[in-house]
Amino acid sequence: MPLHNLVPTLDPIPLPAPYWVFKLLLVVTFTLHIVAMNFMLGGMVLALAGRWSGSRERANRLFTDVATKLPSLLPATVTLGVAPLLFLQVIYGQFFYTSSVLIAWPWLLLLVMLTIAYYGLYYVSFRTHRRAGAGRGVLLASFLLIAAIGFLFTNNLTLSQTPSAWATKYFADPSGWNLNLSEPTLAPRYLHFFTAAVAVGGLLLMLLAYFKRESEADYRQYVFRFGGRAFEFATMAQFAVGFWFLLSLPRDQRMLFLGDNGLATMLLLAGIAGAVGAILVVARALRQDDYRSGAIGGTGITVLVILAMTVMRDILRDDYLKPHFHPERFVVQTQWTVLPLFLAVFIGGVVLWAVMLWRYPFTAAVKAEAPQPWAQRC
Amino acid sequence: MNYPVWDVTFGAGLLIAIVSILHVFVSHFAVGGGLFLVLTERKALRQNDTGVLSWLRTHTRFFVLVTVVYGAISGVGIWFTIGLIHPSATSSLIHAYVWGWAIEWVFFFIEITAALLYLYGWDKLTPRLHLWYGWIYFIAAFASLVIINGIITFMLTSEKWIQTHEFWAGFFNPTYFPSLAVRTAIALALAGIYALVTASRLKDPALKARLVKWSAAWILPSMAVMPVLVWWYIRQIPPELWNSARGAMPTASHYAVEAAVLAIVTFVLVLLTLVKPARLHLAYGLTIMLSALGTMGAFEFVREAVRKPFVIANYLYDNSLYATPSATDGGFSVEAIDQAGVLNTARWVRRLELGKGADVAAGREIFRVECQSCHTADSYRGIRRLLVARQWDAPALNAMLASLDLMHNGVMPPFAGTDAERGALSAYLATLYQAGPPPSDGQRLFEQNCATCHEAVPGDSAVTAIRALDAQTASDSLKNLPALFVRMPDLKLSEQQRVTLVQWIKTQVSAARNNASTFGGGRNRKEVAEDAVT
Repeated sequence: MPLHNLVPTLDPIPLPAPYWVFKLLLVVTFTLHIVAMNFMLGGMVLALAGRWSGSRERANRLFTDVATKLPSLLPATVTLGVAPLLFLQVIYGQFFYTSSVLIAWPWLLLLVMLTIAYYGLYYVSFRTHRRAGAGRGVLLASFLLIAAIGFLFTNNLTLSQTPSAWATKYFADPSGWNLNLSEPTLAPRYLHFFTAAVAVGGLLLMLLAYFKRESEADYRQYVFRFGGRAFEFATMAQFAVGFWFLLSLPRDQRMLFLGDNGLATMLLLAGIAGAVGAILVVARALRQDDYRSGAIGGTGITVLVILAMTVMRDILRDDYLKPHFHPERFVVQTQWTVLPLFLAVFIGGVVLWAVMLWRYPFTAAVKAEAPQPWAQRC
Repeated sequence: MNYPVWDVTFGAGLLIAIVSILHVFVSHFAVGGGLFLVLTERKALRQNDTGVLSWLRTHTRFFVLVTVVYGAISGVGIWFTIGLIHPSATSSLIHAYVWGWAIEWVFFFIEITAALLYLYGWDKLTPRLHLWYGWIYFIAAFASLVIINGIITFMLTSEKWIQTHEFWAGFFNPTYFPSLAVRTAIALALAGIYALVTASRLKDPALKARLVKWSAAWILPSMAVMPVLVWWYIRQIPPELWNSARGAMPTASHYAVEAAVLAIVTFVLVLLTLVKPARLHLAYGLTIMLSALGTMGAFEFVREAVRKPFVIANYLYDNSLYATPSATDGGFSVEAIDQAGVLNTARWVRRLELGKGADVAAGREIFRVECQSCHTADSYRGIRRLLVARQWDAPALNAMLASLDLMHNGVMPPFAGTDAERGALSAYLATLYQAGPPPSDGQRLFEQNCATCHEAVPGDSAVTAIRALDAQTASDSLKNLPALFVRMPDLKLSEQQRVTLVQWIKTQVSAARNNASTFGGGRNRKEVAEDAVT
C-alpha cells in the first residue's frame, strides 16, 4: 500500500521563543517531574515491602508515615508533569501527537487509572491515619495502576521517536487500541525508570528518618536502614538493567554513549560514577548511622545523576529523530510582550510557594496556640 | 489530516463533550468554592459559629477530593482528548499561547499546594494563617480562570489575532470580559450549589438552615445577573458566527433553550430550599446539582455550536484545515487541497487512485480525514441518519457537497478536494443508504432539496424570487440552479417536480403570511450565502 511520508509538518505558528529555551525548560521540568514521580512510586513500593522488613508494628508505622505523604507526592508528580508535557508539545508535537493517536485509548484511559489510583491514595491515607497499616490492599491497587501508567508513558514516548513503526500500527487499527510492545527497548527502558524509583523511594525513607527528629531512635534507625538498603540494592540492580537497556538500543544509538557522542559518553560515565558515589555515601552513612549525610548527600548526588540521565535521554531522542527532526527549521518569533511576564510570574510563584511551605508548621503535631473553636467539634 | 485520525466509533465530538463538561462543572466550583471557603470561614470566625466551622472542615475535604483530584486530572483530560481528536488545533493553541499556559501552570502549582495546606491546616494553623492559605488558593484559582478564559474565548472571537498573530490581540478579544463575567457568576453559583449538597447531610436542623440560607445567598444573586451577562456575551459574537447557530439546523438554539430552561429550573429549586431550609434532603441537593450540570453542559454546547465550522474561528476548521492558505501550512488549506487533491495532501490516508474501481474506498478515506472529526456513520451526528432523511442519490449528493459550506447557514466547512474526489465521497456516502424514489409532494421535495439552505418563509431570497414570478417562469428558472446563483447545487429536477415545488412554495408562503407561522426565523439565506462567497 503506497503511503505518504507520515511525519506531520511543523505547525505554521512560529515558536514564541528560541528553541533552546523550550529545550531547557523541558529538561529541567522533566527532571523535577521524574524526581517527584520516583519519590511517589518508590515510596509506594517500600511502604508495601516494609511488611517483610521488620516487626509488624514498625512496618505498620512506616506504612502510615509513607501513605500519609502520598496524597501530596502524587499531585506534585502530576503538576510537575504538566510543564514538560507542555514544552514537549511545543517542540516535538509532530511526533508526540501522532504516537498518542496511535495508542489513543490506553493513553486516554491512563487518566481514568490515575484518578482511581489518586482516590485510592486518599482512602489509604485517611484509613491508615485511624488504624496504622490499614489499607494495604488499596495501596497495592493504586501502585499497580501507577506502575501501569508509567508503562503507558514508556510506550508512547518510545513510539513517538520511532516513526518507522507508525504505519503498520495505524493502518492495522486506526481505532487507537495499540501499544508499542514490539519495541525492543520497551522493557529495559521501563525497568530502568522503575528501578530508579525504588532507589529514590529508599531516599524518601532516609529523608523521613532524618527529618523525624522527634521519633524514638529505634524507629528512626529502622526507617533509615530499610531505606538505605533499598537504595543500595536498587541502584546496584540498576547497573544490570541499565546495561540491558544500553544493549537493547540500535547500534547507532548505543554507540552515542560509547564514544560517538562526547557529551553522551561523558554523561554516562558521570552517571555511573555518581551512582557508585551515592552507594558509597549511603553505605558509609548506614554504618555510622549518619542520617544527615545519608539522606542529604545521597539525595543530592542522585538528583544530579537523574539530571544527567535526563540529558542523555534527550540526546538519545534527538538521535532517534535525526532523519525527521530539524530544529534549525523552526521559525522563531519571540513573544517579548509575554515572556517577561511568564518569568516574573514564575519567579514570584516559586517565592510564594517557598513562603507557603516555610510558614507551614510541618513538624508541629497540633496547634501551638489557643485551642480553636472547631477543634472540639471534629 | 496532517495527523492521523482517531476512529472513535461513537463519535469524537461526543467524547470531547463528555470530558469537557464534567471538567468545567468541577473547575468552576474550584474557583468559586475557594472564595466560598474563605468567606464562610471568616464569617463563622467572626460569629464564633463552631457548627459552621466544623461543617466547613468536612466541606474542605470534599472540596479537595473533588477539585484537586478529579478537577485537576480531568483538566489534563481535556488536553489529552483534544490532542487526540484535534491535534492540529491543540498544536495551534500551544504554539500561540504556550506562555499563557505556562503562566497558568504556575498558578495551578500554587493552587494545588495552597489547597492541600489549607486542608491539612485545619488541624495545625491559627485562623489567621489558615485564611491566608485560603486566600492564596482562591487568588491562584481565579488567576487560572483569567488566563484560560483568554484562550477559550480566543477560539471563538479571534479576529484581531488572525491578522497579527499577536498574543494579546487574541487574548483580550471581544468576548473575553463578558465570558469572564459569566464564568465568574457560574463559579460563585456552583460554590453555593456544592455547599447545599454537603450541608444537606447535616443532622443539626438549625445549622443546616443557616448553611442552606448562606448557600442560597451565593447562588441566587449569581444566577439572577446571569441573563444580563449572557446577553452582553452574545452581543460580542460576530454576526456571521452567530448566524450559523440559527435556522434550519438550530443546534445552538436548541441548547440555548435547554440552558435557559434548566437555569430557571435550578433557580426555582434553589429558591424553594428557602421554604424549609432545615429540612433540605440530600436527594434534593443532588437534583439541584444535576440540573446545574445540565445547564452548564448546554451552555458549553451552545459555545461549541456557535463556533462551528471552526475550532479556532476563521483560522482552523473543525476538520483541521486552515481557512486561508499560508506558505508554512503544509498545504493543509481548503484552497490548496482543491488544487492538489485531498488524497495527495493528507498524510494518513491510503493512496488510492480514483476511477479504477476504488472510488467508494477512496471516498471512505476522504470521509475519515475530512468529516470524521465531527461525524460518524451511525452514532453521534450520524451521517447515515441525516442522509436517509434527505434521500439524495449520488449525483444530488455530489451537487450538495459542492455547496457544503452554505448549508444550514454555514455550519460546516467547505468540501476540500478535486471534483473527482467529491465524486468519490458522494459514491461512498451513497452506499450508506438506499435512496427511495423521488418524492412527488411539494413539502418533501422542498425538505429534500431546498431546506438545507432555504426556508419557506416570506423573507427568504429564493422564496421571494419565486413569488415574484409566474408559476411557469419560476419552474423554468429551477432548471439551471447555478445560473441563479453560482453556488447553488446543480440539482436535476424533473419538470413535474419543479412545477410541484413551485406550487407548494407559493401556497406555503401565503399560508405563512396569513397565520404568521414560520418554519424558522425568516432570515434571508441568500444574503448569508453571498457573504460567504464574497
